[in-house]
Amino acid sequence: MGMSFGKYVAYRLVNAVIILFLAVLLMSALFTKLATIQLEAQVQDTVVQEARAYAQQHGIAPTQEWLDERTAYWRHYYHLDEPYWKRTWEYTIQTFTFQWGQSIQPVFGTHDVVEQIKTALLRTILLFTTAEIIVILVGLGLGVKSAQKPGSLLDRTISILAMVTTSLPMWWLGMLMILLFVVYLGWLPITLYSQTAVTGWSNILKKMSLPVLTIVINLFGGWAWTTRNIMIGTMQEDFIMVARAKGVPERKVIYGHALKASAPPIITMIIFGLIGSLGGAIITEIVFNWPGMGRLYWNALTLNEVRTMMALNYMFAVITVLSMVLADILYAYLDPRIRIGAAARS
Amino acid sequence: MRWVDFKDSVKRFWSDYKHQKSGMLGLIFLILLVGLAIAAPFITSPDVPEKWQTGVAWITNPKNAPPSWENYFIKETKATQVEYTIQNMHVEKAVNGTYNVYTLSMTYDMRYDVPPADIVITGLVSNASNPRQNPVVKVDLIRPPEPGVKENALTLLSQIQLPSNGSIQVGPLDQTRSHLLYWLYLNGIIKIPNVPPQMITPETINMFIMGNTTLYQLVAAMDPMRVMFGRITDDNGNPLPVESVISKPQSFKGTYKLVLTITAPKEVALDFTNFKVAFVGRTYGLLGTDQFGRPIALGILWGIRVALAIGIAVAVSSVLIGILIGVTSAYLGGWADEAIQRFTEFMMTLPVLPMLILLSLYFGGRINLKELVFFLVLFGWMGTSKVARSMALQIKEQTYVEAARALGASTGRIVFKHIVPQLLPYAFASIALSVPGAILNEAGLSFLGLTAQNLITWGQMLNAANQNAATINGYWWQVIPPGLAISFVGLIFVLIGVSLDTVLNPKLKRA
Repeated sequence: MGMSFGKYVAYRLVNAVIILFLAVLLMSALFTKLATIQLEAQVQDTVVQEARAYAQQHGIAPTQEWLDERTAYWRHYYHLDEPYWKRTWEYTIQTFTFQWGQSIQPVFGTHDVVEQIKTALLRTILLFTTAEIIVILVGLGLGVKSAQKPGSLLDRTISILAMVTTSLPMWWLGMLMILLFVVYLGWLPITLYSQTAVTGWSNILKKMSLPVLTIVINLFGGWAWTTRNIMIGTMQEDFIMVARAKGVPERKVIYGHALKASAPPIITMIIFGLIGSLGGAIITEIVFNWPGMGRLYWNALTLNEVRTMMALNYMFAVITVLSMVLADILYAYLDPRIRIGAAARS
Repeated sequence: MRWVDFKDSVKRFWSDYKHQKSGMLGLIFLILLVGLAIAAPFITSPDVPEKWQTGVAWITNPKNAPPSWENYFIKETKATQVEYTIQNMHVEKAVNGTYNVYTLSMTYDMRYDVPPADIVITGLVSNASNPRQNPVVKVDLIRPPEPGVKENALTLLSQIQLPSNGSIQVGPLDQTRSHLLYWLYLNGIIKIPNVPPQMITPETINMFIMGNTTLYQLVAAMDPMRVMFGRITDDNGNPLPVESVISKPQSFKGTYKLVLTITAPKEVALDFTNFKVAFVGRTYGLLGTDQFGRPIALGILWGIRVALAIGIAVAVSSVLIGILIGVTSAYLGGWADEAIQRFTEFMMTLPVLPMLILLSLYFGGRINLKELVFFLVLFGWMGTSKVARSMALQIKEQTYVEAARALGASTGRIVFKHIVPQLLPYAFASIALSVPGAILNEAGLSFLGLTAQNLITWGQMLNAANQNAATINGYWWQVIPPGLAISFVGLIFVLIGVSLDTVLNPKLKRA
């Protein structure tokens, strides 16, 4: 007795929202603690400044009561007089409903955290999603090709490449790219990567070229290898043998039958890849001075901008949950056997 | 499982594994790495980690120097590092009144187009009770004979105090500069017209040079080391023009002699055990140095320890914990399973690197080795647990498990005796395959400067390189080796893991 598809989707969605909420709760608990330290320091600073202004205006230092009163005022202003758990809870609700507020210092040219993340997300999509699409196309193509002739030169090369490239840190590969193409060959100007901001489309495209190349080299091998393994698994199934026995041309067997049957895991991989690319990569963005999501996180970290960091962490969690849920739902849609398992459990 | 069975299965496993070429290659390299990690304190010295973060230990090394073997590939050969200890010096001791006078001399074969970057004297221990009793050092350089040159010997420092355990960097000292200029004057390279020669001494020469703007600018940009090891006359013995001697010095190859005269009051005891004179190279050792003069090769060697320790500790713990959680979840079923699965998904939702960054901030900015392993395990067990659960679900339905349950076996017995052993092959492959991830995470955190500084890790070396703008400056030896080491260790474990997977899991498909 299978669960209906609609019911399954609803079940997964509710599940995901609850998990996401719990994740935000945990992160809020951590960040509220950090924010407390930061805000207490700020209250101190503000009161000291006010005391100085008072002393200048009245010619005498303010009384202790006056100081206590001002401290209490600012502590109340920042909600520091409320219990820790209450603040955590309020922070959770605010974060969860996208009320991210203002950062103390400007990051990426604005105080508005929502704006900061919008800017960063667009830039990350421009770089990482573009690169991911190239990776998927190249990886799928090579994977299918090498699955056709297991053990061939292409197949063995891809296996080795996959093993080698997955062990490389992407950001280190990026450093090598700068070393080779910028410093030794001089094909691109150093200023492209020594500073964050570039203007003009042609410069942005130039700046994108090395990171895109880095990401593609780093990831395509793994993609090709996984695709190959999935395809080879499918090619050993009985229905392929039947198709071949019937005399279906090999091209049609591969692109019609086998690829179709391998679709669920491959589509899952594509979803994980595409949505995962929205998070960018902190260190790679630092290496290339690319002002995306990862770089924003690092900037916020160095400026101690708790609100921006929290919002970003939330976005990263949303991205993960979204891809998990979408993959599950699509998998269930493409392969109805899955739903029975879920139904049996719930 | 009985002992004979165990021995038998190990034997069978080994005979299969032997035929995996890449797996064997990985294993050989792993053994080599473990050997190097254990041998590191014996090959080098056990106090390297202590010295690593402190600048003083590397004072005799050149900064940002490329590897010595670069000389084979470039036209202009650069001096390599040469160090003299008391054993390599000719020592004479004399007494002069109430003073002991030690004369230490050493010969240096200068056969490079670019001479040494500096001469550093260090490691003399003395027990002077006040600064006035400190030993005083005089440094002379005796150059090989050059046509037309009257004065082969050249005083670099006439007298300079050397406190106990202090150091003298000869090159950058003003005294060296003045003496060098004076020597050039004596040999007729620098001409100071209209001044009687007796007025010109090493102490006054700077003043006269300042009066001549062109000469002053030349001297301001002078590299004293290149000049003291450079030609000052042509082949016919005619003096070279001052511009070429000072700004474009041509190296003068031959055997040089450095003489140090150390004078100390008789009551001050001198200990020369650690005494060292370094002709600081323009290139250094196997892999060059970083901006603090730390040898890259040394860092790579010691980095193996942390990489292996973190990689293996994290991989073993997270896989074992993952399997335990997955199997328990599958075995318990029902609400417990549901709760564990939701918790696993919750943990998967947390972004690893941002959370690690956050936690390291939480723990005071830099986290130590133990905390790092703990956090990496905390965020690393979920994948294994998902796979282990689905495999355990299959095993649970098999008849022999049902039989065991019917016989009244306890939960613990069924889980540990019947289910977990079935998962061990998967566990081994999975441990090997999760080592690279752990090492990459450590490298990432270290690159961001978030790990404790008492460790020598490849990630921290890359962090130093990045702070030094090594990529943009073209210091490839600071960038390539650490990253290559990270990738190499990762690759070794991938090779082993893939081979283990092929040998151990021919049938058990991951659901």
